[in-house]
Amino acid sequence: MGYFEGFRITFKEMFKPRVTTSYPEELRPKPERAHGRHVLNRHEDGMEKCIGCELCAGVCPARCIYVRGADNPTDAPISPGERYGFVYEINYLRCIHCDLCVEACPTEAITESKLFEFSFTNRADAIYTKRELLVGDDGRPQRLPWELWSDDDEANTSAWVRATASSGRADYEGRVGWSAELGYGIRAPEVGQAGEDAVATADDRHGHGDDVGHGHGGGH
Amino acid sequence: MTDIAENGTEAVRGVAVTLNGRVIDAQPGELVINAAERAGVYIPRFCHHPRMQPVGMCRMCIVEIDTGRGPALLPSCMIPVAEGMVVETESPVTRKAQDGVLEFLLVNHPLDCPVCDKGGECPLQDQTVAFGPGESRFVEEKRHHEKPIAISDVVQLDRERCILCDRCTRFAKTVAGDPLISFVNRGNETEVNTFPDHPFASYFSGNTVQICPVGALTATPYRFKARPWDLDQVESTCTSCSVGCRVAVESSSNQLVRYLGVDVDAVNWGWLCDKGRFDFEAVNSENRLARPLARQGDDLVEVSWSDALTKAASALGGAKERHGSSSIAVVGGARLTNEEAYAWSKLARSVLGTDSVDAQMGDGLPSDVVLGLPRATIDETCAAGTVVLLGPDLKEELPILYLRLRDAVVNHGLNVIEISASQTSMTRYAAVSLRYRPGEAAVLVQELFEHAGDVDVQADLGRARALLEANNVVCVLGRPSVAERADSVVQAALRLRSRVPGMRFLSALRRANIHGALDMGLSPGMLPGRVSLEEGREVFTEAWGQLPGSVGLDTAGVLRAAAEGRIQALILVGADPLADFPDRDLARRGVAGAGFVLAVDCFATDSVRQADVVLPAVSYAEKAGTTTNIEGRVSRLHQKVTAPGTTRPDWMIACDLAERLGGDLGFETAEAIWDEIERLAPAHSGLTAQRLASSEGLEGIVAAGPSSILETTMDVTATATLPVDGYSLRLVSTRKLYDNGTLVQQSPSLAPLAPGEVVRANPADLDRLGVASNDRVRVASSRGAVVAPVEADAAVARGTVLLAFNQSGSGAADLIDVSLPVTEVRVETVGIGDREVSG
Repeated sequence: MGYFEGFRITFKEMFKPRVTTSYPEELRPKPERAHGRHVLNRHEDGMEKCIGCELCAGVCPARCIYVRGADNPTDAPISPGERYGFVYEINYLRCIHCDLCVEACPTEAITESKLFEFSFTNRADAIYTKRELLVGDDGRPQRLPWELWSDDDEANTSAWVRATASSGRADYEGRVGWSAELGYGIRAPEVGQAGEDAVATADDRHGHGDDVGHGHGGGH
Repeated sequence: MTDIAENGTEAVRGVAVTLNGRVIDAQPGELVINAAERAGVYIPRFCHHPRMQPVGMCRMCIVEIDTGRGPALLPSCMIPVAEGMVVETESPVTRKAQDGVLEFLLVNHPLDCPVCDKGGECPLQDQTVAFGPGESRFVEEKRHHEKPIAISDVVQLDRERCILCDRCTRFAKTVAGDPLISFVNRGNETEVNTFPDHPFASYFSGNTVQICPVGALTATPYRFKARPWDLDQVESTCTSCSVGCRVAVESSSNQLVRYLGVDVDAVNWGWLCDKGRFDFEAVNSENRLARPLARQGDDLVEVSWSDALTKAASALGGAKERHGSSSIAVVGGARLTNEEAYAWSKLARSVLGTDSVDAQMGDGLPSDVVLGLPRATIDETCAAGTVVLLGPDLKEELPILYLRLRDAVVNHGLNVIEISASQTSMTRYAAVSLRYRPGEAAVLVQELFEHAGDVDVQADLGRARALLEANNVVCVLGRPSVAERADSVVQAALRLRSRVPGMRFLSALRRANIHGALDMGLSPGMLPGRVSLEEGREVFTEAWGQLPGSVGLDTAGVLRAAAEGRIQALILVGADPLADFPDRDLARRGVAGAGFVLAVDCFATDSVRQADVVLPAVSYAEKAGTTTNIEGRVSRLHQKVTAPGTTRPDWMIACDLAERLGGDLGFETAEAIWDEIERLAPAHSGLTAQRLASSEGLEGIVAAGPSSILETTMDVTATATLPVDGYSLRLVSTRKLYDNGTLVQQSPSLAPLAPGEVVRANPADLDRLGVASNDRVRVASSRGAVVAPVEADAAVARGTVLLAFNQSGSGAADLIDVSLPVTEVRVETVGIGDREVSG
């Protein structure tokens, strides 16, 4: 039989749905909590959330973040409070997207989008500065010319993509533990480890909030 | 305790205390908190500080103590140990109490740790994690205050964060003696603040930032510059003045951001003055010289090291060949480390062949007096029977020495006799304050011992005489004023010494490493190791190849010779005679008259701009080496950051020049220089690099040198009363801590603190002259005239007028003629308030 036996697998697979995509013409949706290029968020009033505390730089295992704080000018404040992030740089040749910076951030200023498709032609370009990391006036990540964005990359870039609740407790369910954010508003509470049963109580007027609170809580 | 009293002799006997079930051996009178710490048990604390009296403010250190009446919660920082005492620091009761205290301390403490400069090194953070509650129960609104308020130019106060531990206020009152901050209001409203219209303008205000256990007090120069976890630290020695305080130099991203005082018993006890603490900004300055410069026409243009060194070497070689070695002079060197000073000393003597080297700028004392008189350390001075102050205002010039002496007076009853021309900051601590007419210090000392003088000072003189009878008298000797010649002060000191047997001296020369420079022979007629040219000739000729034949000129002599065209090459090693030499006219003529001027410096000072070749040198914290303080204590300096541009260490510059002049100093590293110093310099024999690097060297090791070099021919007995000109006032010109020097002016935080040029005179003198306070006056001497505002100040003695040296646009140097024993000036009004009176 030998001759046709060899084609058994081939013929079987011919009638199954195709999983290979023609990358990059065709982009697959990314997992809900994929870790990609960072963004620096703003408060709803447009102020920067970063206060230049350097906790992200301190926790970074790849030592790819460089932050310097400065005195916030009182006449034209850049962030609420005394101090703002004066310099913020991430070296993407070093970053391993572990998200510890997101965990460490006390103000949810730094979070990650799902974008990983970006490349450079020299080392200096791999260092993103604050100008590139900051979200735009609409609260959405800037789509820089050398980056390949698909629409879901920027969905839910906000702080809910944390492994733990902002209080640090995994069972901190059903409460909003984060602040309002430009472009996203106040998001629905996270359901935490308990799964689907937790009740969403937060105001999710703004955009993406509605599909957040359900279904994704268990995995990360 | 009673048996100790009965025996009388049993001074130190252990007290047995049970600490957490273990019997420990405490010292009598020791506080429980300290005894526990020595035994390895850390009791949390906020207000307790080893260098200040306990107050028991914060209650953090309460532990269960049983003194025989049953266990009770007592503050361990207030309770001395007693025989049989039982202390429990880890019992549930203690834990609960500590937890409760922390919860209360946190009630009003804002959780802005991420923006707080203290976050990451904060005792409140650390102890809350270690001893405090895991979670807050406090949901109410916290106390709010304006964040932060500037209580001085360099210190900011955030009252929300303050936990009222009384450390800063106690420091200001009991250590610094500047009680300018205090608790105000009561109860829940209590806060630390300054008094209205009186900023916390203390020279020591930076220490409150260092000892604040929370982030309530922060330093403006460090504000938001870095976080504790990205700081690199190295222990070094401060060279802002010559006290030699130990500091921790901290940098972040290769930039200096902060100095912290290191607690060493022998010197600074952990304190620093604000100048020393904040002048790291000058090292970071954009204005640093980064590349060699050479003169092309009227301009100094950047050249390569090779070109600059070749140009300098050919000028020096040419001068030596055509006009002889004595036409070359080296001025300056107090900025250098010991190693660098030695290299320059060797270059000057063995390669250039000149003995005209002087690290002093004509504002110090003769080097044989500084090096030759028997010495006392700071500790010995503070423990002396009587201390005679014959020198500058210590708070202005050697601030930490002032703190140490003040502590000795206030807490240990030290008797101080002050001999000065006007009131100083030590006057209020002096047992007797004697005033002399500028230029006549020796006359006063004569009167002291001969029962002469006016009737109204007889009582003071008598008391001073009685105090001088004490065992163990130490004289703090410096240059009280640059407007009088050093002779009279030296004569006064020698006269005191001849009348007070066993008297020892502590030098009060202020420049950074001036004592190291003098030790290394940067003074005419001196060789490294405190030996004179003749004494050391044999040893050093063998080691160095050749020595100059005769004693050279000091700075004043060099400038005078240069003005007369007898100096063909003048080398300024970190020296700015146009700003620092007391007689600016002579300095100007000298620098202009020198055939060729080579400047080695960190900044383009006035004198550097006159130079023909400028070689940029590395600065503090950019080089390693050793430095020597007022006591002769040698301690190590460490490199922390990389120097800007192509700057080189001064020793390397000396070696490079020697090489191009056909000589060879024989040094590859700074360590090799120290090995040669240790081998050749008598005073430094045995001070090996290993010893200095060992734990013994942490606070520095005093180089105990020979004192046989004092060869003064001065007539100690002659009295020189100067004729009194009834129309003139005598000028007193002293330094303020913040002046027009590069260190202060290149530090943006310190530069505005320089008080500026103000003439001060006694109100009675001003009345007599018909001048009102705040008028603008013209002060004229035989040399020149200065116009400045005048202030009536009763602290200035009658017949004198005070004008600080080297302030912005300072004219004191324009008035002084160094050839005269004292500067006499006439004062006349030229305007009222800000208005000029037109001719």
